[in-house]
Parts: sequence; C-alpha cells; structure tokens
Amino acid sequence: MHNLLAWIVLLPLVGFVANGLLGTRLAAQRLGPGWVSVIACALPIASFVLTLIACGALLSSGQPRLELAYTWAEIGGQELQVAFWFDRLSAVMTLVVTGVGSLIHIYSTGYMKGDAGYARYFAYLNLFLFFMLLLVLGRSLLVMFVGWEGVGLASYLLIGFWFEDPAKAAAGKKAFITNRIGDAAFLLGMFLLWQSLGTLDLDRINAAFAASPAPAVSASLVGVLLFIGACGKSAQIPLHVWLPDAMAGPTPVSALIHAATMVTAGIYLVARLSGLYLQAPEASQVIAVVGLATAFFAATVAVVQTDIKKVLAYSTVSQLGLMFVALGVGAYAVAIFHVVTHAFFKACLFLGAGSVIHALGGEQDIRRMGGLARRIPRTFATFAVATAAIAGIPPLAGFWSKDEILWFAFASSRGGAAWLWLLASVTALLTSFYMFRLLWLTFFGRSRMTPEVEHHVHESPWSMTGVLFVLALLSAVGGFIHVPQFLEPLMPLPAVQPERAALQGTLIGVAIAIGLAGLAGAAWFFGGDAARAGAWRERLTGLHRLLSAKYYVDELYEAALGRPLRWLSERVLLQWGDRRLIDGTLHLAAGTARVAASLFGALQSGSLHRYAFYVVLGLLAALAWSVRHV
Amino acid sequence: MIEDVVLVLFGISALVGAVMMLLMRHPMGVAMALISTMVSLGGVYGLLGVHVIAVFQIMIYVGAVMVFMVYAIMLLDVRDVSFSERYSRLLWPGLAAIVVLLGVLFDASRFGRVDPGQVTGNLFGVQPFSAAFLDAYWLYFELSSVLLVVAVLAAVAIVKLRRRRDG
Amino acid sequence: MDRVNFLLAISMGLFAIGLLGLIVRRNLLVMLMCMELMLNGVNLSLVTFARHSATLDGAVMVFLSFIVAAAEIAIAIPIVLLLVRQRRTLDAGAYDRLKG
Repeated sequence: MHNLLAWIVLLPLVGFVANGLLGTRLAAQRLGPGWVSVIACALPIASFVLTLIACGALLSSGQPRLELAYTWAEIGGQELQVAFWFDRLSAVMTLVVTGVGSLIHIYSTGYMKGDAGYARYFAYLNLFLFFMLLLVLGRSLLVMFVGWEGVGLASYLLIGFWFEDPAKAAAGKKAFITNRIGDAAFLLGMFLLWQSLGTLDLDRINAAFAASPAPAVSASLVGVLLFIGACGKSAQIPLHVWLPDAMAGPTPVSALIHAATMVTAGIYLVARLSGLYLQAPEASQVIAVVGLATAFFAATVAVVQTDIKKVLAYSTVSQLGLMFVALGVGAYAVAIFHVVTHAFFKACLFLGAGSVIHALGGEQDIRRMGGLARRIPRTFATFAVATAAIAGIPPLAGFWSKDEILWFAFASSRGGAAWLWLLASVTALLTSFYMFRLLWLTFFGRSRMTPEVEHHVHESPWSMTGVLFVLALLSAVGGFIHVPQFLEPLMPLPAVQPERAALQGTLIGVAIAIGLAGLAGAAWFFGGDAARAGAWRERLTGLHRLLSAKYYVDELYEAALGRPLRWLSERVLLQWGDRRLIDGTLHLAAGTARVAASLFGALQSGSLHRYAFYVVLGLLAALAWSVRHV
Repeated sequence: MIEDVVLVLFGISALVGAVMMLLMRHPMGVAMALISTMVSLGGVYGLLGVHVIAVFQIMIYVGAVMVFMVYAIMLLDVRDVSFSERYSRLLWPGLAAIVVLLGVLFDASRFGRVDPGQVTGNLFGVQPFSAAFLDAYWLYFELSSVLLVVAVLAAVAIVKLRRRRDG
Repeated sequence: MDRVNFLLAISMGLFAIGLLGLIVRRNLLVMLMCMELMLNGVNLSLVTFARHSATLDGAVMVFLSFIVAAAEIAIAIPIVLLLVRQRRTLDAGAYDRLKG
C-alpha cells in the first residue's frame, strides 16, 4: 500500500473533523452518542491495524520505510519536506500510541457517558492522536515539532475540558505555557542544527554526527537545548509543575496523554537522536543527573499525596525521570522498553483510578476511601496487578524494564556510576512504598467513605473494566516482549564496565528485595486502620509539610517569576507603555489635529471683509512667486 | 497732441472717481463717483479708437448696471451702522496690503512685453467686431447666452421663492 | 511714460482701489460697486493691450465681460435685497452666520 504511513496519521484527523463538525448535533439526538463513539473509536483502531500491517512489512523487508508526503517549502535551494519514516523505533512507538490510544478511547465511551461535551471530547482525543502520530512518524525535526506543538495544544484543550471551572482552565494554561518555555529551547536546538548541518532530517542528523569529521556545532550544546525541550514535554525539573495540575482533566486524558504517550515524547526525541547524544557525553551526563533528581524528588512528594490522581501524577514524573537516567547512560533501547511497560501499567493504574472515582461518584481523596476490594472486585484486581508491576515485582512487566535501567545506571560504560544506582534504587523503594500505600488506603481496611458515597458504590461497566483487564494482562506479560533486543540493530545497548559485569545477579536480587520491601512497608504502615502512619506523621510534621507543599516549587515560581512579571506588565507596560506612550502618542496626534483645526476654524470668521483680505494676501503671495520664478 | 492731454485727463478723472468712491459716506455719492469713473473710461476707450466698446461701456455699464444700482440704493434705508461707521476693522491692514500689491504689480509690469501692431482700417469697427462673434468667437458667444439664461432662471427662482414664502 | 504704461498704471490703480474698497467699506451695496470698479479696471487693461497689439481678441473679451457683469449685477442686487429683508441692515458685519 502506497501511502500507508500517511493513512495511519490522517485517520484520527478525519475523526476530529467529523466529530468536531457534526458531533454536537449528532450527540444531541437519541441515537447520537452511539455514532460519535463509533466514529471516534473505529478510526484509531483502524490506525492500529494499519500499523500492524506496516510492522509486518518492516519485518519482512528489513528496511525502514520512507514516505514523502509533499514539499512544504523551498528556501534558498534547500527543501523542507513533510515525510514519514518507519523503522523499528517508530514501530514500537506507533504501536503503543495507536494500541493504548484505542483502548483508552473505548474506556472513554463508558467514563464520559452523559457528559455535555461528549462529542467535543472525542474530537479533541482524535486530534491528539493525529498530532502524536505526526510526532512519532515524522522524518524531520520540523514535522516532529508540528506534532510536538499539536499535542501541547490538544493537551491544553483536554486538561481544560471542563473549562467553566476557572481552576481547571488555569491548569490547562499552565501546561501550555510551561511547555512553551521548553519549546523555545527546542527551537534554538533546531536552529543550530539547521545552520550547521543544513538539514533537519532525523536520520541524516544521526548519520552526520556518527561520521567523521564531526560537524562544527557542539553536540552537547544542541543536546542540552533539545533536552530542555524534552523537559518541558516530559515534565522534568524545573518544568515539571504542570503535570500534577493537569489532573484537572478527565481521567482517561490523564491516562493517555500524561502517562502513556505525550509525556514520552521527550524520551522518544532523545532516543531518536541517539546518534547525536552518543557524541555528547556532557549532555548525557546532564540528562542523567536531571532525570535522577526528578525521579527522587517526585517520589518523595508522592509519598504524602492524598488525591488518588496526584499520587499517580507524581509517580509518572518519577518514572519519566528514571527513563531519562537510562537515556543519560546510553541505554536508549532500555528507556524505550520502560516507555512501553510504563504505558501499560500506568494507563491501567490511571484508568483504574478513574473506575474508582466513577464508582464513588466523584470522590478522589484517598482519606475518604477504604474497604473497596470486595465492593469493586474487577477494578481492584486490575489495579493490584498494575501496582505490583510498577513496584517491580517479578515476573510482571515493570520488573524487567526497571531492573534493566538500574543495571545500566550502575554498570554502563557511558556514565554508569554507583551513586546513580543508589539513588535510583532508593527511588524504586519509594515507588513501591507509595504505590502499595495507595493500594492499601484505597481498597483495604475499614471504610472511611461518607454514607451517601458508600451507598452508591457500584462496579464500572464492561466498557471500562474490559479495557482494564486488557491492560492488566499487558502489564503482566509485557515484560517478555524483549523490546531492547528488537531495537538492537538501531540502538545497540552500551557496553558494560568489565569490573562490574559480575554483579548483575546481585543487583537483580537487590531490586526484587526493594520491591517486596516496599510492599511490606506499606502494609505495616497503612494496614488495618493506618494508625502507625498517623503516628509517624505527627512525629515528622515539618518534613510532611514540606513534602505536601511539593517543596514549595509553585510558590517559588510565583514569587520569582509570576509576581515580577505581573508587576512588569501592570506598571511598566500598561501604565507607561500602553497608557502614556501609545495612548499618549495618539492623544498627542488627536490634540494636534484639534488645535490645528481650531486654528483653521478661526479663519472662518464669517466676516466678508476678512475673506477679501485673505484673497489679497494670497494674491500677493502668488504674484510674488510667479514674478520671480515664471 | 491734444489727444494725449485729453486721454491723461480722462485717466486721472477715472482714478479720482475711484478714490472718491472710497471716501464718500452716502452710497448714492459712491454710485455717482462710480458713474463718473465709468464715463471717463468710456472716454478713454473712445480716444483709443475702440468705439464699439466705448459705446457699450456707456450703454451697459452706466445705462443698465448703475441705474439698477441707483434704484436699489433708493429702495433701501441706508442710514444704519454702515452709514455711521464707514470702514471695517481691516482699514489699516487692508491699506498696507493694497500698497504692497501695487508695488508688486508695478514691479511685475516691468517684465511684460506685448508686440506692438499697426491698426489698419476698420479693425475695431462694428462689422468686424460682430463678424468675429459669429466666426472665431462663436463658442463664447453661445456660452454667454447660456449664462444669461441661467441668470434669468435664477431671477425667476428667487421670485417664486418669495411668492411661496409670502403665501 | 508712454501711453500704454500710463493706461496700465490707471488700470492697476482702479483694480487695487476696488479691492481695497471691498476690504474696508461696510455697506453691502458699496462693496458691490467696488467689485464693478475692479471689473472696469481689468477691462481697461484689456482694451489697452488690444489697441496696442492691434488685435481684436482683447476687445471681444471686454464685450463678454460686459455681459457677465450685467448678469452678475442682475442677480447680486436681488440677493442683497432679500438679505436685507431678513436682517434689516446693510452692514456686512451683520452677515456672519457661516462662521466656524
């Protein structure tokens, strides 16, 4: 099939247009919502099927597939083309995007049932898929950037989906603006690449940096700039502040965009440009350190969160940090592996949380949950499986990918260090701990629900729990997919430091122990009536307050950036710039016109004698001039 | 020789009449001064040999225009502000401007040249004069007739306006 | 000073005095008469040049000027009469409604 990749990208766009234009009218009719759901879900599933076909073609031919869509522009002899590229990495990412995306679409039909903006929601969701596919299938950084911006837009639209609530709308704005800061650095990186290499094609960039002599531009500089862009999209320090606030959007949105796909765009960017980053050891070091700091910091904050979605949000930030650690030590394929497994279990966790919220009629505070294991068994079972996966309990998916990350953090010859491994392991311990804390507080123990909520607890419909089962299954067996081996021809794993090679078995044992320790710790603290947790909270109030306030980062930004900016806008730009300068200039012009008009108006006195006098004066002037010059 | 003296006399008298126009208080006196100027000019034209124009000057200007003006003066009550206060506020500025104007005009007149010619036969006679109106100047002749029609229309319009207003 | 210059000086003087009269005199009818004076001054210069250059053109123009002057005075005086009916005065200073 000739335009296969273009079709994969465009089918969701068709869904956006159809639902966007007709959806509200359709949904208002009696049979309407059904049609909206069918259009919205069928197209991503079709994209998924096409992706499978493309994968089949890729495996049989062994060659990456290049499709040229059209030439965007021709500037000074160089062409900017819109082209699609399909190799092994694209295959993995596209399968995740379309597969998990389709599942979440199906889940949404149950979750968003009855919402007034039903059609608008699916239109936006399809729009997001279109842009995300553009991002992962684009051949050049330019096409990828279009997708990059587009997913930011879709994220903004979906976070602020219930825009009548100003807090939710503000969360959408925060996400978009924080992303934009990262995008500025992304653009600078693109400019440097264009200037020195004359091309933005990803495969050509990798080839240029792998060849010798190396290009004139510093690979580390470009690497750091692009990484800052990735920080914005993948919520790393210091641009992580938007992700927890993004939980204001509907839960399937959090699952799709802020767990499985959009936030992994940053990981994809770095992994895709592995040829560049292999030549940029300083940039890789920066990536590893930032990723580790983020992972640790987010994990500590997640321990004290009380909103079920916020715990998962900080968990996502932390896991993304671990992926960046893997990228920083040169294990690009391992990072992608974790992207895949993370997509499975994090989506399952978020959708499970959505199921809990749905069952409790909107309650999100885990202090008012408890004892739900028997009331909503299907949700509980899938949630438990996914929790075990993220905690790294073998043989579930999370264990395989996280263990690889820890191993390469320790032993990679491209920057692996013991302290990296140590902090990453502590993070893994905290991850296991807070995830099982979440499980215990939500599902076990005595019920702390309010009576009317408890009365209405009901299991979610099969459109939702069915998807949960599929994702739980993937979380369980997903680790056996051997993604790093699949990506080996494209992104070889880094060599292991020889003196540390023998310790691999020990480290695996430590990782398993960590996972079980987290489980045990959570059970000890939060089992029963969680009295011990309460006692410890009394003892460590200061620490608890610090963590609950997320290290006061938002307040810091507000004081350091928000207030000065507002002062600047208010006092300088508004009062001086706008009112005095611009309005003043206009008033001056108008005043001049008015004064001139009144002067000329004085000429029209109505007195005939004056008019005759003016005639004489004019006559004198004309005569004097013409006599001299004519 | 005597022609030149009479010409100078007529010229001076035209100028004197004009000055008297500005000095006299009663409009009737002003009209008389103007009539004297016009008659002097008629004399000048006659002495120059342009008899047609001289005759028409007397007939049209003095006979029609000034008669109408005198009639209007007689109709209206002229003893109002303009009688007691002859001059407007722009007397001195006006005088200064006119003096400068005269200076500029005299200065400009030094530069002009018109080629002199010899008057042959009946150049300014009635027949050549009238023939010219049907020959070289027929367009302006017709246009002036249009102008007169317009003037008649204007007069009729004014009369009708008055009649409508009166009842 | 030869004849032409003399007559031209007279004509310029008549014109200037007429213009001065227009500026300084207050009575509407007197202002009209000053305009006639201006026309006469111009007619004199036209006739002088026609005579001097021995062409008919100047004389024809003077004749046309007579026609225009007659038509003009035939309309101007009724206008003045109508104005005076409204304001009951011949003073030009009273007619300044078109100001500003």
